[in-house]
Amino acid sequence: MFDVAHCADVASLSLLFLARSARIFLTMLDPLLDKRLIFVTGKGGVGKSTVTAALGKALAARGKRTLVLETDTFSAMEDLYGYEGTGLEPVKLSETLYASNLMAEDCFVATLTRFVPGERVARAVINNRVARVFFKAAPSVNEVTILDQIRVFYEAEDQGKPRYDHIVVDLPASGHAVTFLNVPATMNGMMRGIGPIAKMTAQVSTIINDPKQTAIAAVCLPEEMPVNETIELASNLKSVLGRPLTLAIANMVHRAPLHDDDRPIFDALLARVRANAPGTSSLLFDEEPTDESDALARLVEGNALALGWHDRDQRYLGELRSRVDAPVIELPIFYETSGDDVVANVARQLGGDSSSLDHPLAI
Amino acid sequence: MTASPRSDANAAPLRHLLDSGRLIVCVGPGGVGKTTTSAAVGLRAAMAGRKTIVMTIDPARRLANSLGLDDLTNDPQQIDLSDALNLTGNEDHGGELWAMMLDSEKTFNDLVDRLAPDKGALKRAKENNIFRLLSSALHGMQEYMALEKLHDLYTGGYFDLVILDTPPTKNALEFLETPGRASTFFDERIIKWFLPNRKSGLLGRVFNPGSIVLGLISKVLGESFVNDLVEFFDTFHYLQETLQQRGELIEFILRDPLTHFFIITSADPRRIKEAVYFHEKLGQLEQQADFFIINRVIPRFHPEDIAAIEDTDLDALLREADHEASADRISGLRQRLETHYLQLARLAIRDREAIASLATKVGHEALRLIPLLGEDVHNLTHLLKLSDFITPLAPDARVATAKG
Ligand SMILES: Nc1ncnc2c1ncn2[C@@H]1O[C@H](COP(=O)(O)OP(=O)(O)O)[C@@H](O)[C@H]1O
Ligand SMILES: Nc1ncnc2c1ncn2[C@@H]1O[C@H](COP(=O)(O)OP(=O)(O)O)[C@@H](O)[C@H]1O
Ligand SMILES: [Mg+2]
Ligand SMILES: [Mg+2]
Repeated sequence: MFDVAHCADVASLSLLFLARSARIFLTMLDPLLDKRLIFVTGKGGVGKSTVTAALGKALAARGKRTLVLETDTFSAMEDLYGYEGTGLEPVKLSETLYASNLMAEDCFVATLTRFVPGERVARAVINNRVARVFFKAAPSVNEVTILDQIRVFYEAEDQGKPRYDHIVVDLPASGHAVTFLNVPATMNGMMRGIGPIAKMTAQVSTIINDPKQTAIAAVCLPEEMPVNETIELASNLKSVLGRPLTLAIANMVHRAPLHDDDRPIFDALLARVRANAPGTSSLLFDEEPTDESDALARLVEGNALALGWHDRDQRYLGELRSRVDAPVIELPIFYETSGDDVVANVARQLGGDSSSLDHPLAI
Repeated sequence: MTASPRSDANAAPLRHLLDSGRLIVCVGPGGVGKTTTSAAVGLRAAMAGRKTIVMTIDPARRLANSLGLDDLTNDPQQIDLSDALNLTGNEDHGGELWAMMLDSEKTFNDLVDRLAPDKGALKRAKENNIFRLLSSALHGMQEYMALEKLHDLYTGGYFDLVILDTPPTKNALEFLETPGRASTFFDERIIKWFLPNRKSGLLGRVFNPGSIVLGLISKVLGESFVNDLVEFFDTFHYLQETLQQRGELIEFILRDPLTHFFIITSADPRRIKEAVYFHEKLGQLEQQADFFIINRVIPRFHPEDIAAIEDTDLDALLREADHEASADRISGLRQRLETHYLQLARLAIRDREAIASLATKVGHEALRLIPLLGEDVHNLTHLLKLSDFITPLAPDARVATAKG
């Protein structure tokens, strides 16, 4: 058990412990470093896939074998990591980074194959029209088989050691994470714990509900709905799954274009520009090529808009901090034109590479 | 293609469509403002005189509140339009705006209640384990319950126009392929497998030695689960025919020439890809998207503006605000403003490139742009602004708020 790698782990763990008791985070990743399974959840558009991709990169960069999973969606990882998926089997992207998009249909076949005596029988069931229609229409089958596949990767070993140090899952954006993660427990109840599938669902929910091994991280924007949903999520996790939210990640936080001290000067400038030419605030919404003489007004209005975004973000961040029962970290918005550049920046920010830190570490 | 409510060659076809359509289905990826945009489309139609209902999936609470709805429920609620009419100085054309929030579980329960042949059947239904699993797992069936509700609203005869917000999933369009997925669960062939055979008795049929599949299902799922299934299909037999009929009727509604599809997206390249996917999917189903509404477009910041501005002019203006400020402080502030503006300009250009690429696929005339505003769209004034970007009410009756 006690090989060199483990000793190193113990050392870094105690360092971590020291850092934590001093209430400092070494990096934003800290709350996740000792978690083998990391579920990332959030409303669509908040940057859930970007953060998942960045987490995968940051963990893999530390030499941890990391598997990034998507759950039957338009794959974002294929774009962000630049690969092409080929079914359930994870694709190796680097020495330590692997990815796969778990299609419900494949997971169903895989799960079934594990539970029936022999592949011939499995195929008989899969090819049976009635059975197909039944399973396709039956509720929760997709969720259970996808989660079961995640369990298989979680338990996979090579030479007595876990194949993956971390598995990061980009959960579906629709529906509610709690319902999704609670499906195995619900299903188990329905089956009254009897039968092989019931046993499997029990195993899956034990893994999900173990806060020591499994993290649930919620990504949100500093906007009303996502913030409220994150607060609700934290309390629903407690009441339904009996486990806490591990981490709340406020993403795409807008920077202020100017120092606080300079605000009065800017406000006066804005007032003057608007007094000289009323209606400048709609200048920015004109698609047609516009007058060069409006350049100054546009510059000022553009910064006023950005300042508005910043102020709104700070308001909702405050709300999130004070009401969510979990540590909160913030990620700035990166003005990059390509998605993978954003991922690289977020990964650096998460991993604590100080050369790119332009925001103080949160908390 | 324009985000300006002022110059608007393409507004007329959309306005016509809002004036004559009976159903508008809004599809698209999540988080782009689909629910908000659906509400803005509904508001516009109502102000033009139509009795409109917007069926939303997950409205922001503050949006609901500011529309005068404390709680959106599964039943339509009317929104007071007098403020909107006052704000814009429009006359009342007799339109109405209603909104409701889909509650899948309640819709399903209502359906079961309404169709149950007798009280006993209902009681048994509700105690059944499978039924309970079904109703708690209905998030996967939102689309179908939306259609169920749609059927009521559409055939109820009160509303001129129904606007349907859909869940942001890849399979949001699946219901077009199999409008009766809920009914396939009650497929006759499946029921035959489970239902008690009059001759050989209940379990005799289920554990018919010839049926490998059933034997396997019970082996894998457990016998008690299979017993629940048998009971479930027995109890719910009565739903089958109705669901089948509704599936057919809904299919008919979706194919009606007065049914239109809007694809709502943002300019983010990956969302545009999804929008194109929806577009192609509609094509395969012999449908087409009438409009692409691109929301949250970064306003048009021009990088050339920086070169056009004389540093000394801007410095002088800044100094007027604070005569004490040092020259360093003034030029520092100017540089920060310019840097930030340039960063935003890069995003503005990226958005326009993505939009241009969409235009080459679907045509400029199918696009409508809504800019990213400085704050969340949480009150009527903001919603009116959005409506105005989608299509101004009428060429003469310009909405005053759009300029503010
Ligand atoms: N921190 C960030 N800074 C800048 N852009 C971001 C950031 N996080 C996400 N994005 C951008 O936001 C958009 C949506 O992100 P995505 O990860 O696809 O969201 P989700 O998976 O939640 O739907 C993408 O264009 C992505 O590049
Ligand atoms: N054009 C816009 N400018 C600024 N904020 C917007 C705009 N459109 C929508 N929003 C905001 O974006 C958030 C998400 O909108 P919502 O309609 O709920 O998205 P969806 O239904 O696609 O998930 C809301 O807070 C809404 O106020
Ligand atoms: Mg995503
Ligand atoms: Mg929505």
